Amino acid sequence: MKYNENGVSIVPSEFKKEIFDEARKDFRYEEYVRGCLNCGVCTGGCPPHRFFDFSPRIVLQNMKSKDPELIWTMMDEYIWACFQCFTCAMICPFLNSPGGVIAILREIAVRRGFESAKKVLKPYSRVLLKLTAYGNQLSPDMIQPDFFPDWGPHIGYASTDLAVKRKAIPMPTLQVTNLAWDVAPETMKELYEIFDEAGVFKILEAVDPSLYEIVQDIVDDVRSS
Amino acid sequence: MAENILVIGGGPAGLNAATMLSELGVNVTLVERDSFLGGNPKKFKYKFLFPDMQPADNVIGELIKKAEAAGNIKVNYSSEVSDFKENGKKFDATIKSADKSEIKTFDSVIVATGFEHFDPARDAKYSYQLFDDVIDIKDLERMMGENNLLRPSNGKPPKKVAFILCVGSRDRHVGNQYCSRVCCTVSVKQAIELREHFPDCEAYIFYMDIRTYGFFEDLYWKSMEEYDVQIVKGRVAEITSGPDNTVVCKGEDTLLRGPFEIQFDMVVLASGMEGGPQSPEISKKLGIELDEHGFLKPENVTLSPFKSNKDGIFLAGACTGPKAISDSITEGAAAAMNAYTYAVKNR
Ligand SMILES: Cc1cc2nc3c(=O)[nH]c(=O)nc-3n(C[C@H](O)[C@H](O)[C@H](O)COP(=O)(O)OP(=O)(O)OC[C@H]3O[C@@H](n4cnc5c(N)ncnc54)[C@H](O)[C@@H]3O)c2cc1C
Ligand code: SF4
Ligand code: SF4
Ligand code: SF4
Repeated sequence: MKYNENGVSIVPSEFKKEIFDEARKDFRYEEYVRGCLNCGVCTGGCPPHRFFDFSPRIVLQNMKSKDPELIWTMMDEYIWACFQCFTCAMICPFLNSPGGVIAILREIAVRRGFESAKKVLKPYSRVLLKLTAYGNQLSPDMIQPDFFPDWGPHIGYASTDLAVKRKAIPMPTLQVTNLAWDVAPETMKELYEIFDEAGVFKILEAVDPSLYEIVQDIVDDVRSS
Repeated sequence: MAENILVIGGGPAGLNAATMLSELGVNVTLVERDSFLGGNPKKFKYKFLFPDMQPADNVIGELIKKAEAAGNIKVNYSSEVSDFKENGKKFDATIKSADKSEIKTFDSVIVATGFEHFDPARDAKYSYQLFDDVIDIKDLERMMGENNLLRPSNGKPPKKVAFILCVGSRDRHVGNQYCSRVCCTVSVKQAIELREHFPDCEAYIFYMDIRTYGFFEDLYWKSMEEYDVQIVKGRVAEITSGPDNTVVCKGEDTLLRGPFEIQFDMVVLASGMEGGPQSPEISKKLGIELDEHGFLKPENVTLSPFKSNKDGIFLAGACTGPKAISDSITEGAAAAMNAYTYAVKNR
């Protein structure tokens, strides 16, 4: 995809139409998008609306507009402002789900490896690695001040001498710091099968090719063990 | 021998139907579950009526007086139809009050059982009953009727009041998809009355669409032009408590402000109209149809809005859907005409 000097994507209108159609064909579309009163209740209850120029009402209106251009304008940044809390879906008098529409659009962005999706997923590459390669989500060695600044002032202390601290936990642990729990190789192989079938590895290849290579090396190792 | 016609419900619709029938020489039996006549306008002491702000007494008081003065209207207060059976082309009804019960045969029947106010406590986001200063339009009608427009929390005059439209209407969460038709006009009317009473008090109306249909639009224009009522487009998403004994309305102004959180002294919820428990009850008892909105269903909404699906049973007023007093009165007359014709034909 090409971008102009402001980082805005330049794409032909046929491509925008393709994205639009992909969203409309999603199996959840009918359930998420009904009519809209343009009442703003969803937006009034939406947490990010208070901090950003972001409105679930606009998301729903754009989606109903049948104008691929309007959907496209949201793909670069707009859809990533949502917290996916689904307050909007809980309070919409029409029972729409603007948050659900955003989920559909995000999944398209991820499946197609859009630059915006890559940028958003970058900080999660370690989580993705642990999850897809080892079936773990967070492991002790992931606790590092750079990655978790929101964990408060003691994160620096918490991230040192991990091996010793883990031994001090008064219940059986793996006594390792790169895994949270031990997943048996047979289970891992099954997981890889599922990831293959569900297209998870393909998505990973689209959004983070170098991470994909690392994961594939591990997968190959486990599979041949 | 004179015809006997049963009218159920003594609100504007039933009162006008009864009076018109009595003028035709019919013996009317009027059954009213309350201990007084006049329906919701009387119960909640409406003081001035839209569209022309005339005293409610001119209309409701007048209707009651006429009905009470007619020699051939038997009013049964605090009573109900406890049993109902078809008898050929006629109807046998048992009229029951606290101390007696009586069976009578009627040539035809008019149902004018009206509506109930939506209970705003059913929609938690508005914090009705949680904060004293969150009231609804029927509460405000009553307060005005009792000459008391002060804040319920501290008895002081309000300085800033919000009206929130479409409470209990046009919302699938509360089960009412329809528009209640009168609440826009009632709110605009009340905002004007408030500004008239307290010129220093600001009035805001939060709306999705202003539906002051037909000539009611005049009031809406007047509210802006002469009373400087603030009209903000956006449905309020939440009401919380604010500093200094205020309530805060939170929402999206979809045209100007974007997100807003505004403090008010008092919030008035424009709660809508519902078919109430009486509509399904009457539907079951008389064997007439209920519609998907919880009101009684006319045989044909356009051709015969005052007829039920059962021959000889007619409908009038807000029991078939939200409407203004003038429409209820008109329907009372239409139902009377039809009930009379049916009775005469089957004499
Ligand atoms: C807040 C508010 C303000 C309004 N202000 C205005 C205004 O300014 N101008 C205007 O034109 N319209 C106004 N309206 C609309 C007006 O209230 C209605 O149009 C009118 O009351 C309808 O009259 P009705 O006789 O059909 O029903 P109701 O007024 O509801 O009367 C029905 C009667 O039937 C009785 N009843 C019910 N069930 C039974 C039963 N099973 N057996 C016996 N009796 C029964 C009830 O007790 C009641 O007395 C307002 C509405 C609201 C909600
Ligand atoms: S799901 Fe997204 S759009 Fe909906 S309320 Fe939450 S943050 Fe806002
Ligand atoms: S709450 Fe629902 S109806 Fe209202 S603007 Fe949002 S999506 Fe539309
Ligand atoms: S009349 Fe106005 S306030 Fe009442 S339901 Fe209709 S639009 Fe909403």
